[in-house]
Amino acid sequence: MTTRDPGPEADGRSSAATRRERHVSVAGGRSDEGTDKDDVPAVAVDDLHKRFGTGADAVTAVDGVSFEVERGSVVGLLGPNGAGKTTLIKSILGTVVPDRGSVRIMGIDARDAPRAAYARVDAMLEGARNDYWRLTVRENLRYFATISGVDPASVADRHERLLERLDIADKADEPVRNLSRGMKSKVSLASVLAGGAEVVFLDEPTLGLDVESARTFRAEIRRLAAETGLTVILSSHDMDVVETVCDRVIVVSAGRIVADDTVDGLLGPGDTHTVRLTSPAFDRRLLATLRDRVEITAVDRLDRGARIEVTTDTEGLYALMATLGDHDVPLSRMRTVERDLSDVLVDLTAAEAA
Amino acid sequence: MAPADDDPLPAGYRHLAWAVLYREYLVFVRYPANAVGGMVVALFFFGVLFYGGRMVAGRALTDSIEGLLVGYFLWTLSVGAYSAIANDIGSEVQWGTLERHVTSPFGFAPVVLLKGVAKLVRTFLTSGVVLAVMLVVSGTTLQLDVLTVVVVAGFSVTSVLGVGLAAGGIAVLYKRIGNWLNLLQFGFVLLISAPAFDLGWTRLLPLAHGSALLQRAMVDGVRLWEFGAVDLVLLVAVAGAYLGAGYAVFRYTTRRARRLGVLGDY
Repeated sequence: MTTRDPGPEADGRSSAATRRERHVSVAGGRSDEGTDKDDVPAVAVDDLHKRFGTGADAVTAVDGVSFEVERGSVVGLLGPNGAGKTTLIKSILGTVVPDRGSVRIMGIDARDAPRAAYARVDAMLEGARNDYWRLTVRENLRYFATISGVDPASVADRHERLLERLDIADKADEPVRNLSRGMKSKVSLASVLAGGAEVVFLDEPTLGLDVESARTFRAEIRRLAAETGLTVILSSHDMDVVETVCDRVIVVSAGRIVADDTVDGLLGPGDTHTVRLTSPAFDRRLLATLRDRVEITAVDRLDRGARIEVTTDTEGLYALMATLGDHDVPLSRMRTVERDLSDVLVDLTAAEAA
Repeated sequence: MAPADDDPLPAGYRHLAWAVLYREYLVFVRYPANAVGGMVVALFFFGVLFYGGRMVAGRALTDSIEGLLVGYFLWTLSVGAYSAIANDIGSEVQWGTLERHVTSPFGFAPVVLLKGVAKLVRTFLTSGVVLAVMLVVSGTTLQLDVLTVVVVAGFSVTSVLGVGLAAGGIAVLYKRIGNWLNLLQFGFVLLISAPAFDLGWTRLLPLAHGSALLQRAMVDGVRLWEFGAVDLVLLVAVAGAYLGAGYAVFRYTTRRARRLGVLGDY
């Protein structure tokens, strides 16, 4: 993509209805420009760049980002504040115009045919409020279906199923403002799906939700992806959401992708254990002996002995225990350290910063 | 989410217009306090103007009361249409719904334009009520040929809609300048009273020519088909020109806001 700015409004075709036909035909499973081929990624981003400001004050928010998202998958965008996640999402959505790079939605170039591309996409940005609180739940679904280019009467049954699925059918005729925070989030998700979007972007979808509501919301996202083939790209600081919902995680730091893997892949090989051992018998000589057998990743000297951290595989763990037994080392404490995505994120972004 | 057993049909601009108008209607009937509040404020200022003016100017005011009523009616219409568009955009940003309209396959500008038209319809209703109360309070009668009044006032305010679109676009780009832009509302008073100065070129400004025609329609009883062709063409041309220019400014500023990455900020 060059610096040309066509925007979502720049499609040269004459009516939204005409443009929508292509979307509808794909949604209905019929062939159109090859975009219903399963091997075409739902989202393909290539060499995306976005820089704000000029001169010394310039900030590079997105720096050569490329990735593809398979249809029906749930992909998490992780990164510290200011890493460029939201700008990346907005650049893909076209609400921020990238300086360079290309975005394809279901195989459709967002620059060449923005309206056709974005007819397949909707987004829930920055928290729960993405609908009209003065309208009822059902009225929101009808309104946003229309805004998405779909005749709401033709998807009325779908809306009912959606309300049932999200367990808000009994609140369908209630103004959104009267609902709880958790319910509002569900309504927001429902309105995002009301127009039949095939790709949805969720930016901090569980922000401000209580534990139970966040858990329910996570389950719904996972279920929708599994049962309907919905493609979800979500950005969150809530590691539980990312770990439990996402098939894959893209870690962004300083506008660049620093990791792109499954959750298990990011957490490291399956046969790796990290344990912390505390003993009054840990002295210089014993630690030297242990180092011959396993990798000691940290040593904290205590008044008596030391606390060490060891990362090794199962075989190494047995060898370690055998060595400790051979030397009659008393352990005052032994704790397994579970590495989670937060640790991975900190390590990756720290490495990038270094 | 691909449907399993129903095929979504594409929505056209007819569906979009209906959705936007229906939403406006729902908000209007469900939360009438805002509309009623606006009418009360408009009537309060009219009361101040009418009774205060009568005390100060006496017969001079009552002699020109018809013109004052027509001008005030057009002013409430103009302010309603203008502020509705500019304020609506700010609200959409705060609600997080702006971006959803931006990514609409209909395009952002057509959606905003239709929302403006919906606000205009609503403003016509509330201003109509204000006019009726003003007539009763002042004991005045006006010629109210509905077709003539709606067409002439509609085209007059369409030019304001264009100004509102431009102001809304500038607010998207520069944020929090709503208070400054609201000052423009007082400029409408000058534009509406411009015909009184009998300056030919003011006919090209928003509201001015329409205001003159509306005065003739409501005070002198001139019907729509009794206006000269030049007057009607100018009325439509001014409305179209300002609406087109406002639309173009709105598209440019929102595009620039997307380039600067400030579209959803407020």
